[in-house]
Amino acid sequence: MKELLNYGLLFAGFGLTALVIASLWIPKVLGWKEKLKDLSPLIKELWWTYSFYVWASNCFFAVLALGFREWFLGGSSSAAAMAGFICFWWSVRVYLQFFGFDFDEVEDTGGNRIAKLLLTLLFLYLMIFFAIILWWNLGGAR
Amino acid sequence: MNMETTLILLRLAGLMCLGLIVANFVAAPRLGYARNLAGSGNLVRQIFYVHCGYIVLLITALAVLCLGWPQLLLAEGMGQVVSGFFTVFWGSRVVVQLTYYDKTERRKERFWDLFFLLVFFTLAAIFATATSSTP
Repeated sequence: MKELLNYGLLFAGFGLTALVIASLWIPKVLGWKEKLKDLSPLIKELWWTYSFYVWASNCFFAVLALGFREWFLGGSSSAAAMAGFICFWWSVRVYLQFFGFDFDEVEDTGGNRIAKLLLTLLFLYLMIFFAIILWWNLGGAR
Repeated sequence: MNMETTLILLRLAGLMCLGLIVANFVAAPRLGYARNLAGSGNLVRQIFYVHCGYIVLLITALAVLCLGWPQLLLAEGMGQVVSGFFTVFWGSRVVVQLTYYDKTERRKERFWDLFFLLVFFTLAAIFATATSSTP
């Protein structure tokens, strides 16, 4: 089981890495520059600042998933807390994907549909997998 | 710096994070988020609020960690990596404020500009201290 979870963490890490790289194209694909042009300078600055910090957090999760697999599978309460936090983070994102965001403005092209499907699957995977890591650290390991 | 002092500093960082969470809620009406975003599309507005929410979530988790279990941030390995991340997080926030934010807007609210610069710099310094502290 531990070996399987180890591979699962590797997959989560690579998935997050792919997400942070792909995220660099999101502003272009969704035309953020054009859509933000009417906002006041301050709100625009806040927009980009918040976006950058959320992106940086995803980078950090990728580093943790790839570089601290042994720690994540060590059965400690701190690993449980971190896994719980990451699970909650992605649960919110899954909720928003299905019930929060209004995707009507996104152009309905084949590429966008595939990208949305892949992102949804990745968010679901991250939510479920880190819930399993939480369970593992809370006693599933024993 | 000895361990006891670093733990006190981390608790102080936790209190500062709580203050930042409150400030986020005060900023929304004061800076007119709703008014400014009224003319934009649904998705733009939603992404802005979602990103605000995620930042508040991250800072809340950090506040809980600093106030409840500051010793975890001093643990070798993961503790120091998390402290290191937040050193860069708050340090870069100082750089963003000084180099990216509009100088005219900052001048209009000079007191708060300097206040938040000091808060971000202090947080970066505390987490840098925690990163370099070994148990």
